[in-house]
Order: sequence, then C-alpha cells, then structure tokens
Amino acid sequence: MIISGAGGIVGAGKVMQFASRLIDFNVPIIALDLPGAPNGIAKQYKGLQASFGTEKANKIMGNVIQLNYDGNTLPPTLKQFNPKFLIEAIPEKLELKKAHYALFRKEFPNIHIWSVTSGFPANELGVGIAHPAFPHEVNKVYEIVEDNPSAHTHLLWAMGLIPMQVSDDWSFVLDVFFCGLLQASIQFCNKTNTPYWKADKYIRQILGPNPFRAHDVIGAKGANFLTWSCLYHLGKKYGALFAPAAALTERKDSGQSWYPVNHFRPLVNWQLEGNQEEELKAIVYGALIQMTTIMLHEKRADLTTMNAIGELCAQFTNGLPAFIRKIGTQQAIAWVEKYHRLVPAAANTQWYPETIQNLHTSEWQQLYVNAEHDGTNGFIAISRESYNYDVNEELNRAIDWLHLEGIKKVVLTSDFHFSTQMVGADTTEFFAAINDSSIGEQISSDWSKTARRLYDEFEISIGFVNGKRCMGGMLELMMHCQYLIATDQVRFAMPEVTLPVIPGMEGCHWVLRKTEKSNQSKMLEMLMHGQQLSAKQATGFLVDFCGNIKECLAMVKSILSNGENALPKRKIVGEAMHDIATEIHKIRLSDVPNIQAAQKEIAGCVLASCASSVDEALFVQAKMSANFMSGQLFRKGKIGTEYDKITQN
Amino acid sequence: MKQVKSIAKEASIPYGTWGTSYFPAWQSSPLAEVNIGQFAGEAMARILSKRGVSSTHLDYLMIGSTVPWHWKFWNATVVASCLGRRIPGFHVEQACATGLQAVVLAAFQVQSGASEAVGVLTFDRTSDSPASIFPERRAYRRTEVISDVWDNFGFDPSTESAMISSAGNVARKHKIDRNEIDELTAFRYQQYFEGKESGFLQRVALPLEILNVQGKTMGMIAEDIGVKKVSLESLRAMRDLDTCVTGGTQTHAADGMATLLVTTVEKAKEISTRPEINISFVAKAEVRVLPASMPEAPALAVKKLLIQTGLTMEDMVVVKDHNPFAVNDAVFSKVMGYDWHKMNNNGSPLVWGHPQGPTLTRVIIEALEEAVDLGGGYVLVFGCAAGDVGIAAIFKVNDKK
Repeated sequence: MIISGAGGIVGAGKVMQFASRLIDFNVPIIALDLPGAPNGIAKQYKGLQASFGTEKANKIMGNVIQLNYDGNTLPPTLKQFNPKFLIEAIPEKLELKKAHYALFRKEFPNIHIWSVTSGFPANELGVGIAHPAFPHEVNKVYEIVEDNPSAHTHLLWAMGLIPMQVSDDWSFVLDVFFCGLLQASIQFCNKTNTPYWKADKYIRQILGPNPFRAHDVIGAKGANFLTWSCLYHLGKKYGALFAPAAALTERKDSGQSWYPVNHFRPLVNWQLEGNQEEELKAIVYGALIQMTTIMLHEKRADLTTMNAIGELCAQFTNGLPAFIRKIGTQQAIAWVEKYHRLVPAAANTQWYPETIQNLHTSEWQQLYVNAEHDGTNGFIAISRESYNYDVNEELNRAIDWLHLEGIKKVVLTSDFHFSTQMVGADTTEFFAAINDSSIGEQISSDWSKTARRLYDEFEISIGFVNGKRCMGGMLELMMHCQYLIATDQVRFAMPEVTLPVIPGMEGCHWVLRKTEKSNQSKMLEMLMHGQQLSAKQATGFLVDFCGNIKECLAMVKSILSNGENALPKRKIVGEAMHDIATEIHKIRLSDVPNIQAAQKEIAGCVLASCASSVDEALFVQAKMSANFMSGQLFRKGKIGTEYDKITQN
Repeated sequence: MKQVKSIAKEASIPYGTWGTSYFPAWQSSPLAEVNIGQFAGEAMARILSKRGVSSTHLDYLMIGSTVPWHWKFWNATVVASCLGRRIPGFHVEQACATGLQAVVLAAFQVQSGASEAVGVLTFDRTSDSPASIFPERRAYRRTEVISDVWDNFGFDPSTESAMISSAGNVARKHKIDRNEIDELTAFRYQQYFEGKESGFLQRVALPLEILNVQGKTMGMIAEDIGVKKVSLESLRAMRDLDTCVTGGTQTHAADGMATLLVTTVEKAKEISTRPEINISFVAKAEVRVLPASMPEAPALAVKKLLIQTGLTMEDMVVVKDHNPFAVNDAVFSKVMGYDWHKMNNNGSPLVWGHPQGPTLTRVIIEALEEAVDLGGGYVLVFGCAAGDVGIAAIFKVNDKK
C-alpha cells in the first residue's frame, strides 16, 4: 500500500491510521513524498506513543517505509514491494493529480487508486474517492464515491474504518457542511463585527462546532485553501450562497489564522445583543438548511449518512437532518427565508424546500435507530455512539413498530463494526438539568422507561455488543436486555464516578437485582471506581456470554431459537434488597476528595434504589441522579465545567 | 439658519454611528493594564456593532493618540487589524487637539475622493505612560529620560514653563477671580451629573468589559471612574496651585477611546440610524498665542473662526470645549462676551478627564448628540493644545424630519 503526499496533514494521518492497523498483517505502508516536503509523519509519533505505548509505536513506525521521489519518476525500489493500492494525498491540483495517476499506472497497471481529494469528483479525476475527515490520524470516516462497495471499501470496513457512500459531486457532504458553516459564520461576523473567536463560542452553543478554531487547528494555511477551493467551485456551480467571502480569500492568500495571535489575545469581551443571536441563528441555520436541501435534491447521500457525517466529522451536536426534523419543516423554511433577508445574495442560489416536506417518512424517522425483522426475530441497531433524546425517541418507535409487526424476540446492537464504541449518554443533554432538576428527572426516568421496555415487552431480548467498548448510559441500556452477549475484545465501564454523575438509567440497581450475591461486589466496584473490564472479566455478573464473533453469533441464534434452554435467563429481583449495604461498605473509597464525594453519592443511590421495589427504584434513581446534576459537585466536574465553558459568554 | 460654505461639502458624519468608552481616571481601572491601541480597535468594532454598523463599510482608518503605545510604529494598520479589517490609514497627533484634528482630516480624506468611509479612532492611556530614553549630547547628563505624560506636562521646552503655569498666567492677565473659577467648576460638575442622570451620557458612552490573557474578566469600564460630585464649599477650600488653579479646578489624567465615522453624504444616509439627519463640516481655525498662554488660545481660535465664517456666537446651538482648566472657560467667556453657563451642557473634560487623544472626539460626539436633541443647528467645538495652540471648528446639524 502506498500513500503519496505522505508528509502532509492528510497523508501523514492516513499513514498512521493504516500502519497501525496493517502491522499485524505484515503489510508495510510506503509513505511517498517529495524530498523537500514537510515531514508530517515524525509529528505523529507522540500521538502513536500516547495511544499504543512506545514499544508498539516503534513497531508501527517500523512498518512505515518513507521514500522520496522527484514527482516525475517513481523510485526503482518501489517495484520490490509490488504495490496494489495507492491512496493519493497530493495537493489539490487537477493536472498534477492526473499526471500522478498516469505515472503509477504506467509502472503498475493494475494498481487501485483512491484520492483523498476534498473536492474533485471522481469523474474528473478518473480514480476512486475516499475522502477522510479530520483529525486524519483518528477519524475513521471516509466518504466513498462508488455505486456499490468495492473490495477496497470492504477492506476499510474490515480494518475498523467507516466508509460512507456519497455521490460524485464537486465537494462531498462533509465539505459542504464544514466549508458552508465557515462561509455563513463569516457572513454573520461581517454583518455584526463580531470577532471570529467570539462567533465561534456562540456557534458552538447553537450548533456544536467552532468553525474558525477548526481551521486554525487543522492548519490555517492548508485548511483555508481547501475551504476556499471548495466554496469557489461550489460558488461557480451554485452561485452566491457559496461564493467565498473576502475574509476567506484574504486568509487563503496569506495563510493567516482566524484567531488573534498570542500577543493580541482578546481584550474587549463581546455579547450578542438585541436581535443578534436571532441573526446568528438565521444566518448559520438558514445557510446550512439551504445547503442541505441542495444535497438532498441531488441525493448526495442517504439521510442517515448525511446526518452521521455532520455529527462524526463536522462536529455538529445534531446532524442537519436531525436538526431539521427537530425544528420541523415550517421553522426550517422560515430560517432560510430570514437568512435570505439578511444576506440577500444567498437567495439567488436555488434551494429546494420540497426536500424537507415529508419529515414523517420512515427515512427521516430512522436517522439513528434502524429496526428490521425476519418475521420472527427483530433486530434493532443504534448507529449513534452516545445516547440522546433522538436515539431514545427512535428506539421507542422501533420497539412500537416491532410490536405492531407481532415480533416477540429482539436483538439490540450498535452498528455492527469492529471499532464500534457505545460511549454512554450524550452529556450535553444534561446541561438543561443543571438549572432545573425536574428536567434531569424527566430525562432519567424517560430513558429508563425506554430501557425497561427491552426487558418487559419481549419474550426474548438480547443485547449484542461488539467493537471496542460499551460504557455508561449505553451500557445501562444494553444491560436491560434479558441477555447480554459480548465479543472478547469489548471493554465495559461505568465511568460516571469520574465525571462525576450518578448513573441515571438504573445502573445503580438493575444488574445488582439479577446478580448472585457473591458477584455483586464486581458490579459495585465498576460503579464506584469506573475502571474498565474486559468482556471476560464482566461475564457472570454483567455479561451472560462472551466469545469470538462466531461464537457470539451462534449463541444469539441459539437463544433466539431455544430461549432458556440455550442459556438460562437471570431474573430481576422485584422486591427491595436491603442486604446490598453490607457489600457496598466493603468497597474501598478513593483518596481524592471529589472522587470520594462522588463515590458516596453513588453509594447512596445504590442503597436507596436497591432498598426500593423495582417499580419504585426507577423513580428513586432518576430523582437522585437529577438532584446530583443540580449540585456543586456536578458543576465542578467535567460536565459542569464543559457547560460553563460553552455557555458563559 | 445662516448658510455658510462648507470646507468639505462631500463629507458627513453619520448620526448614531459614534461612541466613546468611559474615561476612567488614570491608574483606576483595567485600562491601565492593556495595550490601548488594541483596546481601541476592539472597542471600535464593538461600538459599531452596537450601532448596527458593519465595519466592512470602512475603507480607511484615521487614528489619533499622543502617548506612545506598544507597536505604535505599525500605526493605523495594527489598530485596524484589531478592529477586524485590513484597511490602510494613518496616525494623527496634536496633543489635546488630536481628536478634532483627526475628524477634520478625515473630512478632507473623503472630500478629496480618496475614501468613502473613514473611521476616526482616537485613544490614549495616560496610566503607565512609557519612559523614553534619549541620547542628548547638549544636556549635562548626556542622556535624558522622559516619562511621556508627566514630564511633558511639567515642561514646555519652547517656554520652559509648566502647563499649569500657563493657566495661572492667563488668569492673572485677564484678572480672573478665584470665586468665579470655583463657581464655574461646580456648575460644570452639575452639568455632568445632570447629563448622567438624564441618560444622555449613556447614549454616547458604552460600557466595555476588559479581559485578561486567560480570557477572564478584569472588570467593566462602565463609568467615568474617579468622577465624584463636588460641592462649591469643598472647591473653595482647596489651596491654590497657581493663580485660580487648584486640584479641583483642573482636569485629571485618564484612559479611554472615542470613535466616529466620516463618510460621503450618500454613505452616511446608508449607515446612519437616522438618515434624515445630515451632519456637515463648516469650518476650522487654529491659532498659536504668546508663550505660556495656552488657556487663552481657544478663545482666539473661535474669534478667528467666526470672522472666517461670518457666523456669531448667537448662531451656535451648542457650544462645547476641551477645558483642562476652568480658567479656559472663564477667559473664553470674558474674551467672547459669552455666558459660560450656556456652554458645556452634559459634561466636559474638566470633569470627565483628560486622556488627550480622544478628549476632543468625545467633546464632538457629545456636542453633536446634544444638537440633534435640540433639532439641529450650528455646533461650535474648540479647545487648547500643548504649545499654546487653540483649535476650533463648526459643524452643522441639519435635521430634515
């Protein structure tokens, strides 16, 4: 495998991503670049060390063969590696890229070539597209342009990367969002003089990302050029909506960053006043909704993909389709119309309000949760890493639908993927609970009730966990399934104590009610110390069965066919359990004052919820969790600090 | 209203686009800790935002300051960058005349067709003014160190006298009575607090929050810190520092900024909050008087200006000046036969302080705002400057509502 342009931001990141994944298969990565190109690969070493430790990092680096060439002739040594696959990450110049492909095809006629281009369509380049998202050494998403998944797309999938199918247009979905947001943000700043650093803060509050900071972090010179290039070409095709703002052109030419330099750190604070916040929303929401309708009209990607790209790559709190669904068609159209009043030039670009008219259709209603069945067994897949309001709503709809279809057995899983992470609850959902504990109580009890449906409403329910990890709120959801099956490599944790937060979806009592006394201390240790356990370590109290993927799938099939004959179901104790106090007092407490305080709060919740009947426990835990979120310990913790950071202006 | 030919008929000051920071007394606020050029640029962006004016309208920046600040070499360009625009511009400096001089020069910049919209941005930080070291072969010490604000206040190299002694000289020359000076000062304070209590001050001055390098608040500049009500009795009890000059009858050093825009008439209509109001430039005059006579100079500049234009004091709807010494106003009154009670409504530098560069800009802003309240007319703005200089200008406010 060759990665050309390997010294650049994208190339170096991808070298690391592939080298770390292919080392176990003895596939070396040839990192090819010009002799004078900056060496971005060396910069990646620290990150590798942090992720894998020095020994493995050294091995990974040893799996990278760096070769230089003059751009016109390939190094003779290349032949000995018999390369089959080229990922091209050279500068965004069409003729340069075409010449590059010709050079390789001449030498290696059967080589498969993908470009990481952020703009050029495949039909112009004459090669496939695999457009990755930042940060390139970490982000697993690739926008792939092909009608049907090729063997190379399967390869990405098999390596735990996430290929997503998009159409062959100028600039792919991520770039329309990423660049379009910057464009709209500049328009707002121009209108109100709001400095970029402050606009970022407000945009983060209403949407999630920091568009200006993101460009500076990626590297202003390169990122500004790519964004400008994307907008320039989109502007040529679609008009003023995308035509790059003068401030962007200036920064594209100068390479200047958006944030002030250190010696000019901002002096005068800034608050949006009067109708400026409304204008910000109109410009940012309006522009992005208009752009989304264009992409929907062109069928650039299916809704779920478009939504996921927005969240996983553009850092939106909610993907644009989810956002549009949330606010409804009328409000979405109203934002665009208001945007056009504020930025009249944007109205000259065609947009397609009809594409957001039918939000009630199943395509719009299944952005995160997909449900299917084969007539007997239902299958629910959650494609969002963290649990939030949308997932909860969609999961309820999925369960309702399976009931309507007469399905009595169900398997709940995440996207079926080697690097799947079910990281827990989306903690931004808790922000509203900081100032109003009734909101926290509502969230906690609503989500718990949804989770209970998995236990109560099916003859058989199986939580199937594979991938990397399952933690926090997602684990609380999965533990409500009558059986929890996990593949060997999965790690489990209840990290709430480290945040701190009191688990709100019945984590403080549910598993304890179905675990024999001798094993209860293991669950309590998890709750009180937040450490990760392997699937094997968690088997017996949390996990019902673990094994390799084949064994796990076989067990799932067997349970679905034979029920308790395949694996005994552990029953929930419905009555109050007072004897848990003895166990919990055996758990050692941390020496760190804040952790110890959180441990005591969690222990209190364990005692109170276990001392209640299972019916009452849901509300006991919801109340205690909510009260904790409106307290000082939570406010000083990670979520409270993040809340302050985001919301304080 | 008498019709007078304008010195810059293509130029106009768009109503409602101006603003000033409050002027905290020196060493009394977070402004003492900051790069005042950066502060001014960022504050201008903020003020324009509050006025609903996009800084993208500006094509030129005229800055004015008198106390050296870090990176002053880079002049208007660095301040423009802090404002958020990469536009050209230059720096004007004429001690306390800086504000008025910058506004008039901006008018000429527009009149010449060189610019469509000029931002005038004046600022100074008298707190912690730099100490400069000069090789000086003719001095017995061979090297001179000057604290820019205080050492210059104390010594005019042309006359070898201090600023304060010029006030005493003029008071003696015009036989000004200390009682009158105390009464005048008390009245000026009364005018300021009336302007503050009526909400007038809050229309021209905007509160600004200052951040430290961590992005945390250092404090709000939300009033003219250090300005307190004074009684006539307390003024009378103060000892003379020179004839008719006491600690109470002279201004105090302060920090701050003030900004307004000068544009073409068409642009002013486009960006003004009240496009029916046209504010034009009528005339300007400057004089230099006898050594160590600075407080007398403004009166003579106004005299010259009235002769130039054919206007009289009775034609003026608003009269406002930079009055570092109460003596200035008493002498003006005597020379021009004009009742000092009729001028400086809503406040004047004698009360709200003396940050030099922005002083006369704030005077202009307050004067124009008052003229609009009064339905328009001629506005006379004047003041003194180091070197025994007097400067005066007349603006015309036309309200076509």
